[in-house]
Amino acid sequence: MGLLYRTWFEFTGWAAALVLWLFILQGQVIWWQPAALWAVFVVLWFLTTRLGGDPGALPLAAVLVFCGWVFLTRLDPALAEGHSYGILLGGAAFCFGLLVPWTRLSLGRLWAWAALALLATTAVLGESAGGAKAWLNLWGLRFQPVELARIFLVFYLGDEIHRGGNKWEPLLYLTSFCLILAWQRDLGPAVLVFLVFCWMWLQLSFSWGKLLGLTAAVLVGFYSAFRLFPHVESRVLAWLKPWHYLDSKGYQVLQGLFALRAGGVVGQGLGEGLVHVIPQGHTDYLFAIIGEEFGFLGISALLLCYLGLAFWAVRIVDRLEGRERLIGLGLTLLLHVQVFLVVGGILRLFPFTGLTLPLVSFGSTSLVAQLWMLGIIARLGCRGGEE
Amino acid sequence: MRKSFLVLALIYGMMLAGAAYWQLYSDLDESPANPRYYLMFRQERGPIFDGCGRTLAFSAAEDGVYVRCYAAPSLSHVVGYFHERYGITGLERLYQEELSQGRSLFTTLDLELQKRAEELLQGVNGAVVALRPATGEVLALVSSPWVDGSALDENWPDYLADVRSPFLNRATQGLYPPGSTVKPIVYWAAAALGRVDDETSWSDPGVLNLPGGMISNAGGRAHGQISIAEALAYSSNVVFAELAVDLEEQLLKCFRLFGLGQQIDFELGNLEGFVPAGIASPYHAAQLGIGQGELLVTPLQMAQAAAALANGGILMRPYLVKELRGGLRLRQITRPQVVQELLPKSAANTVRKAMALAAREGTAQTHLSGSLDYAGKTGTAQTGRSAADHAWFIGFAPVDAPQVAVAVVIEHGGAGAAAAAPVGAEIMLKALQMSE
Repeated sequence: MGLLYRTWFEFTGWAAALVLWLFILQGQVIWWQPAALWAVFVVLWFLTTRLGGDPGALPLAAVLVFCGWVFLTRLDPALAEGHSYGILLGGAAFCFGLLVPWTRLSLGRLWAWAALALLATTAVLGESAGGAKAWLNLWGLRFQPVELARIFLVFYLGDEIHRGGNKWEPLLYLTSFCLILAWQRDLGPAVLVFLVFCWMWLQLSFSWGKLLGLTAAVLVGFYSAFRLFPHVESRVLAWLKPWHYLDSKGYQVLQGLFALRAGGVVGQGLGEGLVHVIPQGHTDYLFAIIGEEFGFLGISALLLCYLGLAFWAVRIVDRLEGRERLIGLGLTLLLHVQVFLVVGGILRLFPFTGLTLPLVSFGSTSLVAQLWMLGIIARLGCRGGEE
Repeated sequence: MRKSFLVLALIYGMMLAGAAYWQLYSDLDESPANPRYYLMFRQERGPIFDGCGRTLAFSAAEDGVYVRCYAAPSLSHVVGYFHERYGITGLERLYQEELSQGRSLFTTLDLELQKRAEELLQGVNGAVVALRPATGEVLALVSSPWVDGSALDENWPDYLADVRSPFLNRATQGLYPPGSTVKPIVYWAAAALGRVDDETSWSDPGVLNLPGGMISNAGGRAHGQISIAEALAYSSNVVFAELAVDLEEQLLKCFRLFGLGQQIDFELGNLEGFVPAGIASPYHAAQLGIGQGELLVTPLQMAQAAAALANGGILMRPYLVKELRGGLRLRQITRPQVVQELLPKSAANTVRKAMALAAREGTAQTHLSGSLDYAGKTGTAQTGRSAADHAWFIGFAPVDAPQVAVAVVIEHGGAGAAAAAPVGAEIMLKALQMSE
């Protein structure tokens, strides 16, 4: 297994060097960006190994982050520069997750209050962008609190579900969390957190009755959101009948599908796609752009990297017991359910929820949060279930 | 936890399947909402050539974008056109994928012959189809009027307003009563079934009375005692009506054997036309025997039938695309295909001689009869209205080893001998000159 990881890592290194060289030849890129990206993951690799952890996630995450960086450079080098700072910060966040025993901090409800406080602050003081009031500006540092808040909430949920105290209390916090997000018109994270909660709850003890009840709850929630929020309605209509709304609601969905189709098996090639017709191509719809330029093979490789990350995380979490097991699972799911929501939305399997592709899409807060989560899981792996 | 991982893996598998569906199976390339579809029209694509390597269609660079140009306006009915606003037709549409990949298409057409036919049909409504009898290659296919694929922008409103329907491909989609051009087939049927031989002689009083109606020769002329070959050469309605009455249902079977009322497997498609399912009365049979009644054919069908008579009764599938070249894939070559062998061979040869007689001294004589060795048959199809008749001609040349077979129809052209035969003869002349 170690050899496999090492091969991956070396492969990405060579690929990075090659692409870097090509870009420098064209004079399009500042050399430090890929170098810093590379250095970050090498340092993290050694650090994790030193602490006795399983560094397997790092080459996979490096491939994904690198892929995102390449595409952002291809779309707009200025975006890639901002993203590169995010990558550096993400490296720090991974260390932060790795070195601090987060899962031992049994703060209970405090986590939930922290999450709600973050959201409430955003709802009151936040700034709007792209239809959702999801940004907070703290002394010049602009970020999306929901990315952190949902991790806090998973800490709380893991704690609470494991303790098995009052059944309704986690539901109450979860509902308030979702309602604030709904008020901010940012429903993607609400759906994500709700699904993760359901999965964690089912993981604790599975029964068909529970599954049925949760499915019903999802459907009822879906239907009421559809009736209550016009922007949910438009997303649903764009999913059901994109051809009917091809100039308005359905435009993004259709352009994404056209881009995927144009990719075919091997793709149009980097820089050859018609990328600027897709709205939100650098965040929500980056997947479609990768599909157009790298084709089905590129998409498969990308999804396999995610699957590898899931395998790595599940292997670690499987050795844990009790609360940490649930929290570890929750963090893992937070990443992968988000991938499902994004990719499934772009592939028209269900309505698009407006989340970004984890580790790949533009967005420093999201990158920092994702790498922090990976760091926490890596930390869980270091102790190897000694508790 | 293992189950959780299995569920995750399963969902990733579903995502992969979804991506495979959209990327590999879905059909979104030609959606009008897809901006790539319009870009496609500005990109270079593979050229289309005629059988001798002359360019029929090519992409010309204009201000950094490519525009499709055509060597002759009448090619729009065959090669088609390719325009970002008006779409893709003809072979351009049929071979869209290959051409957009830069592969080149070699057709069976002969550009010079096509241009000659275009010149001859200028100003009239009609169609010309020229085939190589031995293989079924289409040498020329002109339907007049046409739209000019290189100048659609300028003329589109005129084309739409034109009552002569320039978009209609009369060669494959035009249905006409065949008139006397079916007589060679009737003759073939009678010869093949042994009902007549060279010595059979008929008396033609000019009029044939049958229960239900009367068949008369053109102008009511009585030919007296004539051989069957002469009856074909002088286009005796009475003799062929009698033959048809005698043949009964066999007549319809023979029409079908020659491809009339049948689907032709042709690249551009072809209307089936109409051959009735059965014969109602002797008068009905008589009418069918002279190409009237409810018979309807396309010029391509008549050309195919003429080619079969020229080719000793071997009916070849007409085809337009000879070869695809270029790109990563191997060359794809179309092979000639036999549709039907109409036996005995001697029947076709008998008819061929009679048609040569018609061209030498019968109704199919033209200004070229002295110089060009050809065989032919004219037709004057009544349209059932007060408008002038449709003029028909089918023929082939040279008589002994035919290189080209043609069918010509000129709508409301009047007598076939006057309007269509000279056109057919000119085309055969040009085709023989080109093949030298």
